[in-house]
Amino acid sequence: MGSSPLPVTRTRIARLAAASALLLLTGCAKEGISPQGQEVHRLFVIIMILAAPVFLGVEAVLIWCIVRYRKRDDDPAPQTVGGSRSLVVFFAIPAVIIAVLFPFGEATLMNIERRETPQVQIKVEGFQWEWTFLYLNEGLFVAGKTLVRPAVMVLPVDEPVQIQLVSRDVIHSFFVPDLLFKRDAIPGRTTTFTFTPTKLGTFHGQCAEFCGLWHSRMTFDVKVVAPLDYQAWIKQQRKKAQGITCEPQGTTLSLIAHNISWNQFCLAVPANTPFTVDITNQDVGIQHNFSIYDSFFEKKKYFTSPRITGPDSETLNANPLPPGHYYFQCDVHGPAMSGAFIVK
Amino acid sequence: MAVTQAPTRELTPEPRGRLLVWLTTTDHKKIGILYLVNSFSFFTVGGIFALLMRTELARPGQQLIGAHAYNELFTIHGTLMIFLVIFPILAGLGNYFVPLQIGALDMAFPRINALSFWLLPVGGLTILSGFLAKGGAAACGWTCYAPLNEQLGTGVDLWLAGLILVGTASILGAINFIVTILRMRAPGMTMMRLPVFVWGILATSLLVILATPVFTAGLIMLFADRRLGTSFFDPAHGGVALLWQNVFWFFGHPEVYMLILGAWGVVTEILSVFSGRPIFSYRGVVLSFLMITALSFTVWAHHMFATGAVELPFFSITTELISIPTGVLFFVWLGTLWKGKLRFEVPMLFALGFIALFLIGGIDGVWAASPAMDFAIHDTYWVVAHLHYVLFGGTLFGIMAGMYYWFPKMSGRMLSRKLGQWHFWLQFIGFNVTFFPMHILGLRGMPRRIADYAPDRGWSFLNLVSTIGAFLIAISLLIFFANVLTTLRKPRSAPADPWRANTLEWATSSPPPPHNFDALPAIHSGRPVYDARVAEAGPTDRGSR
Repeated sequence: MGSSPLPVTRTRIARLAAASALLLLTGCAKEGISPQGQEVHRLFVIIMILAAPVFLGVEAVLIWCIVRYRKRDDDPAPQTVGGSRSLVVFFAIPAVIIAVLFPFGEATLMNIERRETPQVQIKVEGFQWEWTFLYLNEGLFVAGKTLVRPAVMVLPVDEPVQIQLVSRDVIHSFFVPDLLFKRDAIPGRTTTFTFTPTKLGTFHGQCAEFCGLWHSRMTFDVKVVAPLDYQAWIKQQRKKAQGITCEPQGTTLSLIAHNISWNQFCLAVPANTPFTVDITNQDVGIQHNFSIYDSFFEKKKYFTSPRITGPDSETLNANPLPPGHYYFQCDVHGPAMSGAFIVK
Repeated sequence: MAVTQAPTRELTPEPRGRLLVWLTTTDHKKIGILYLVNSFSFFTVGGIFALLMRTELARPGQQLIGAHAYNELFTIHGTLMIFLVIFPILAGLGNYFVPLQIGALDMAFPRINALSFWLLPVGGLTILSGFLAKGGAAACGWTCYAPLNEQLGTGVDLWLAGLILVGTASILGAINFIVTILRMRAPGMTMMRLPVFVWGILATSLLVILATPVFTAGLIMLFADRRLGTSFFDPAHGGVALLWQNVFWFFGHPEVYMLILGAWGVVTEILSVFSGRPIFSYRGVVLSFLMITALSFTVWAHHMFATGAVELPFFSITTELISIPTGVLFFVWLGTLWKGKLRFEVPMLFALGFIALFLIGGIDGVWAASPAMDFAIHDTYWVVAHLHYVLFGGTLFGIMAGMYYWFPKMSGRMLSRKLGQWHFWLQFIGFNVTFFPMHILGLRGMPRRIADYAPDRGWSFLNLVSTIGAFLIAISLLIFFANVLTTLRKPRSAPADPWRANTLEWATSSPPPPHNFDALPAIHSGRPVYDARVAEAGPTDRGSR
């Protein structure tokens, strides 16, 4: 009854599994599209080299015991126990492994946290449930649309990029697997880090901190392009932003928020005349408001409404504005829900 | 002597009907069984939730359940498995076996013992009742981070209320265990003769009374934020979102050790019994348990490396230091097997499986302990793999070892060995098929807690494999439940000591009488039952320790 052939089969299976597991793990790890990411990949391999003998050693001794020390007769097993000396050895072995491992980890950490003078500075805003990338030096932004299209961060190859990470609502996490890096976007904090993409291509990114209903759809792309293509893209984006214009059609504006976006990208009112804004929020359980600024840098605020939780609507009265090119947005979602506000 | 009086207590309730006996019992053995029945019921619920999630993730695109339902399921799955399954199973085994292993009549405070049990099903059902509330159950993960936890509906309030009850239950239980172990030991049962399982429960209880009140306070603060207008955690009103994470993980990391110290005790004892050897270094085990208990309070922020707001080197080195006492345990386990006479009974299979799998869960934690590496794998499926290798491959295999080991003592009946072997192999294979691929998914950048994924990410195949594994686990557990239910219909035939074991619970009948012991053997070592067996066999060799 007691002797089945199972342990022997188990030996082979376990050995095979161990070998293939190691291969799989090193083979599947991403190697990184930035020097920082490549450093982390190197650390991954170093820990693998330290961990593999521990794994193989323990499993081998375990399997050896199972095969060799199966009960075969009724003689009692030796009743010896280990003394203080063996206990010291038991403590020493893992201590030595840690003593080797820890400095490698710290060295990598220092390398990836080294600050470089950034050529591109991007303020990254996370909100439920998309991203906005504000190019601070270029004065433009790109936004994604929840459930419709992810935001695309275009970057020039080989230039250090500084990310200033913020959140408009709950905690999110900016995660690009090919950078082997993520950092939490925390409301009330700005977190800064730099990296240098050195490989052309489009790489997927995604929120990594659970942030509510559509967390799984909070994706974005990082598109690394040649410097000339980057300049061309900047120019094109600027043109697109400036090209938005519209004419006043009376003093009553009507605006609908649906699926976390406005139904209009451009609003216009006559100069020096009071006007009213009708806001309808069709998003159940989601807050929106309506504010007018000088630009998306929000240096000067001309008008702001209280937050409206959908479904609901409200009519707001606004004071006259001098002629000019303004900017409106929902403060809950930022530039992702914004447009041009023209006073003529 | 108390022994002669005790039976009268059980004679009176008998006419009151069986249900009432179970509802009003203060007998630690009955309460222990109540714990197990309650926990395995919630285990079934949490397991079905896991199967639903795995089925949804088998292919990209939404098939079975929507995003909101998925978010509710992983939240309640984690909450139930941690607070109402793993911890209470260990507490239940502790309830049944700590008094027996130390030669006591009962727990120190039998009525508080009953109270701390009955709070559990109430707390668990309160959490589950969220599914009936407007807006559904809490959908914020078992960690329920701020300020998302301020945003969601009534389900979060029910989640908070349930956890406050469960937390109170475990604090009461921990006090009871500590007093029982310190004050109720039989003559001769010195601290350094305590069975290792009792040490595991003692260390767990110390963790509970130091860490759980902090968590309970945090839960009450969050409730006040949500319903009484305070703003501890809400940055929109001047609170600090990261404060929640600090409070949560100050408890949450010791919690991991609350979930495994008891299982380490079970496995260490079983390895010793079924290899016919004393524990290779009893002192090493006790020292490791105590070191881990102390160190576990210094590592909480390793869950927060990616916030960029914690001291990275400090929390990295303390985390890596924990692998030293944990490494010692592995040496002791292997040293116990070395030159033994191994009997591959079902409890032993699970104990050996525990070593093989917990090793992986320990090692893959080392990557996450290094902050630079953690930036890559934090909140990915790597972490899901890691935590399941620790809590399922580790603790749950240890719990199953304990269930097969102690079932004859609790019920007077031996579980089927054949079904037990099927259970073990299916669970062992199914577990690895489910959770090993998650390491690779994590390295390929699949975040945890996502209801869906795009087909172009290269995650589809491994998710399918993982789902198949989950169903293998489900089949193995059905075999276990079938084994238990069919065995319970058989006549009581288990001997007092079916395994040739070492500790005091095997010195009394199976199941034990209400007063536990008709007579206690002399206790001259940590293995009184072994000593008695050797003395009976003849004066050839003596006990150890």
